[in-house]
Amino acid sequence: MMDASIAAKSPRRLGRRTAGRHSPFPLPWLMPLILVLGVFYLYPLLDVFRFAFTNVSLLGRDEEYTLQTIVSTLSKPELLQILWVTFVFTASSVVAQQFFGLFIALIVLHGEKRRLFGTTIVRTTALVAWVVPGIAGGIIWKMLFNEAPFGGLNSLLRVIGVPAVQWLSDPHMVMWSVVISNVWRGTAFSMVVMYAASKAIDPVLYEAADVDGANPWQRLIYITLPQLRTAILVNMILITIQTLNTFDAIISLTGGGPGRATEVLSLYTFNVVFRNYDLAAGAVLSILMLAISLGLALVYARFLPKGEPS
Amino acid sequence: MTFLFFAWPLLWLLSLALRTRREIFLGVSRFIPKAPTLENFAAILSSDKFAGYLWNALVLSSCSAIGCLIVALPAAYAFSRFPFRGKGPWMMVLLAFQMISPLVIMVPLYRYMAALHLTDSHFGATMVYIALAVPMVTWILKGSIDGIPKSLDEAALIDGCSHFAVFWRIILPLSAPGIASAFIISVIAGWSQFLVPFLLISKESLTPIGVGIFQYAGTQNDSSLQLLAAACLVSVVPAIIAFLTLQRLILGAMTEGAVKG
Repeated sequence: MMDASIAAKSPRRLGRRTAGRHSPFPLPWLMPLILVLGVFYLYPLLDVFRFAFTNVSLLGRDEEYTLQTIVSTLSKPELLQILWVTFVFTASSVVAQQFFGLFIALIVLHGEKRRLFGTTIVRTTALVAWVVPGIAGGIIWKMLFNEAPFGGLNSLLRVIGVPAVQWLSDPHMVMWSVVISNVWRGTAFSMVVMYAASKAIDPVLYEAADVDGANPWQRLIYITLPQLRTAILVNMILITIQTLNTFDAIISLTGGGPGRATEVLSLYTFNVVFRNYDLAAGAVLSILMLAISLGLALVYARFLPKGEPS
Repeated sequence: MTFLFFAWPLLWLLSLALRTRREIFLGVSRFIPKAPTLENFAAILSSDKFAGYLWNALVLSSCSAIGCLIVALPAAYAFSRFPFRGKGPWMMVLLAFQMISPLVIMVPLYRYMAALHLTDSHFGATMVYIALAVPMVTWILKGSIDGIPKSLDEAALIDGCSHFAVFWRIILPLSAPGIASAFIISVIAGWSQFLVPFLLISKESLTPIGVGIFQYAGTQNDSSLQLLAAACLVSVVPAIIAFLTLQRLILGAMTEGAVKG
């Protein structure tokens, strides 16, 4: 009532009011989304926190509330090695994916400008690798890394006269093998992000640089990279989290071995829950994983320019 | 060089899949097989097991993609058009869901599903697929609805259309390209699912290709590489074809909606 009388007095208010009459309560529209995420994401997530304080197992013994699980899980001696493996795997994959993604995006942009043949082929092959399911990717690379003389990479090396490499059985080499296969699958995502962001850079900046006589290297350092800063950071957040959560590609490539050389945190959690049936310990590890993702995202976010419209 | 890095694994896969058993051991020197054969594909595709895997993957990924659209479209419309408090933060919360590893929620979900007898059912798995893909899909759809001029639906509202009519008659048809790419993206995501079906489905007759090929790989050895390669190719090719046919659309939607986050 009161609203209506105010609205009648001011035309601007009237306009808003008309919008307001139609302007709807968003909840019914959001309800399906809230329901699905609530039931299948949020509720289980809360349960994970509860499990961490119990001794619950998949074998269905009586549940008791205890802090013992947290203490024993976090003090396991192998955890330190798992975290180190996870760190090496994630850090090298992320750096390499970011680097190659940017590199290929710039090549593709350059090639498109000059209408070079082959640009589309490079872009498309990189993207195709991205669509390959993680499990299949692991199996494909397992065939390439086959250590027999006829294996996909070793026979290639033999042709150019390099001795065979123990891709998967040498505990030092295996980490790089896993990273290579992960970079193969993951680079396309960074490429898409970098490509879109580079296209959005104002061409006037480059024209100005040309007038000032900048060489291509200077253009990269002083224009492209600073302009891409936000995109690079956002991309780093996304691919870091993706990489931390990867385990299907590793389970089919090495299964975490040899020994524990490639057992990352997510694979370790998987094994704890579904091979040892230790649900409570798995919950503790899940929370640890979540905390690491969140922590990293916050660290990256600190470097984002302030006041950026999100 | 770059091309070689990305193409080599797939070319090698193809090369292996076309070989006879004897040529496997010749490595790169027989990159183009002397006697290329489609026998391996015939062997894989004619086994009931693989046909079943493919069918299950198709059912799961397309049902979940449809479900995803049903859930995400109204929400994307509301996020794009309705003014309400805390919209930006809510969009961020939505994105934050993607930070949670599926592994985390699978731990308790496995127990609920077992209690509800939803393990070994496509329905249970489909619901989880939807939940996993829906945040990303909502972002993509919001991006594509944002691209529709607001004046169109404002005009319709003034003419007396209800919000539902605007949504149904204007937004849906005009965002068809965005919807198509969101659909394909979620089909591809569903196709590559491993964890969810691996945990929730133990009956072989219900297993989708991702789990099927993993189990198949575990039973193979060096002398049957050609069969494994063919099986792998069969599992990979549908996703690649779906992607290639709509490549331009998908990339457009990705860069417009999700990536600009």
